[in-house]
Amino acid sequence: MKMSLRVRLLGTIVGAILLCFVISIVAARFTLQRDLRSQGQAQVANGASAFGGYWDSRKDQIRLLVAQDAVADTLRRALQAHDAKGLADQLANVARTSGLSFLTVVDANGRVVARANGPNGGSFAANPFVKRALTGETVSTAGVLTAAELAGEGLAPQASSDIKDADGKVVSHLNEGLALVSAAPMSDANERTIGAIYGGVLMNHYYDIVDQSTHALGGASALLDGDAIVASTILAPDGTRIVDQALPETAGVASGTPFDGSETVGGTEYLVHVDPILNDQNKAVGARWYGTPMAAINDIINHTTESLALWGLLAAIVALALAVPVVQRISNTIGQRSKQVSDAAKELGVAIVGSEVSGDHVAATKTAVEKSGALIDDLAKTGDPTGKVAHLKSLNEELSGDMFVIDTLSQEMSSRMTQAVARVHELNDVAGALDKLVTGEAG
Amino acid sequence: MADVILYFGSNADTMIATKALKDAGVAAKMIPKPANVSSPANLCLSVDGAAESQAVSALGAAGVSLGGVAK
Repeated sequence: MKMSLRVRLLGTIVGAILLCFVISIVAARFTLQRDLRSQGQAQVANGASAFGGYWDSRKDQIRLLVAQDAVADTLRRALQAHDAKGLADQLANVARTSGLSFLTVVDANGRVVARANGPNGGSFAANPFVKRALTGETVSTAGVLTAAELAGEGLAPQASSDIKDADGKVVSHLNEGLALVSAAPMSDANERTIGAIYGGVLMNHYYDIVDQSTHALGGASALLDGDAIVASTILAPDGTRIVDQALPETAGVASGTPFDGSETVGGTEYLVHVDPILNDQNKAVGARWYGTPMAAINDIINHTTESLALWGLLAAIVALALAVPVVQRISNTIGQRSKQVSDAAKELGVAIVGSEVSGDHVAATKTAVEKSGALIDDLAKTGDPTGKVAHLKSLNEELSGDMFVIDTLSQEMSSRMTQAVARVHELNDVAGALDKLVTGEAG
Repeated sequence: MADVILYFGSNADTMIATKALKDAGVAAKMIPKPANVSSPANLCLSVDGAAESQAVSALGAAGVSLGGVAK
């Protein structure tokens, strides 16, 4: 398909602009994605660190509460008097006002004297935290309460739950519970250990910490036992909290390795940072999940891309508006020059024909003069009594010389014209090519 | 004074010389090259002997290369 110079120039300009335009948008989008995601990941890591601060603060608060209870005179006296009923009432009152899930007092042998809730009886002699407290140490740590421990404290219903996958299918059942616990020794007036107090907060379906974190930091927070969400502020599309759901992508955190990346929960993609929750023996017992919706980043990327596209389109239109008159002027100028060359070629063609015709005529005249000379020579042989033949011969010889000169000049001009013909053909070719270039039509 | 013959390297130079002498006001007649003149051109110019120096000067001023002068 033939295209005119105008179409080809404009097409090239439009193509170049569009190519730059597309490359710029792709490069900008790629750079934005990389930089914003990197920045977002840093912000999420900071948020996760702050979430960890709330967690540690809560742990310290529980430690302080339990330590204060350990030295409370009323509790100590009740323990020394083995007043299980009075002690249970006091523990229930303290636990309720302190926000503790459970609070239990044991004697020096680890046997349960009284609990804030749940039935009395049982033994914590094998409980590692209580054992350490009975040796005089105040323990404060995160830990996992077994089903038996939860049942003893009347907390089994709070922790027991079916864990589902993202599609709502039950994949496991959770009987244990993630908790912040503290244990402290109780002493008599002579500082002899007479027992221990053991209390804490069960995190399963307990939302104070995650709500506090989300309120202060934004985003969404969650606590995980293994890969199961036990408390969170992650919202499902219907606005309810997402809990008791497995997050298989972050299961590796249980081994103690933090996780950075994106994860889709409840139909929303989050940029997340997950830290392991370590007990005081540096063993992972759970995980803290913190994330911000990727939509916040994607919105910026999409908005910037759309702005770039809009401004780029505007720039393309302005560039075209500037380019069109220039291309038009170039096309017109070349078209005019092409026509001038073509016209000049036609004029030269007439001169060539004239030169050829006049050359033929000169040749014919020269032949006639030569014939005339031969006749005069024949006439002189018959005699020249008046001397007019000799005069005629002299004139003819002069005429013959002139004809020689004219014929030579004619041949010289013919040679020059032959060269001119070649030039004219070349000029015609150039004019034709220019014409095709400008109009796009076959010559 | 007898005419002198001015000859050139080519017929094209002879034509240019004719035009140059005409512009300089020197009378010259283009003639066939005489047999006693050795030149690659077939044509030469005949000028009056008295105007020889003026003709040579005019040709020099016009930048025409003169092949030679035959008396």
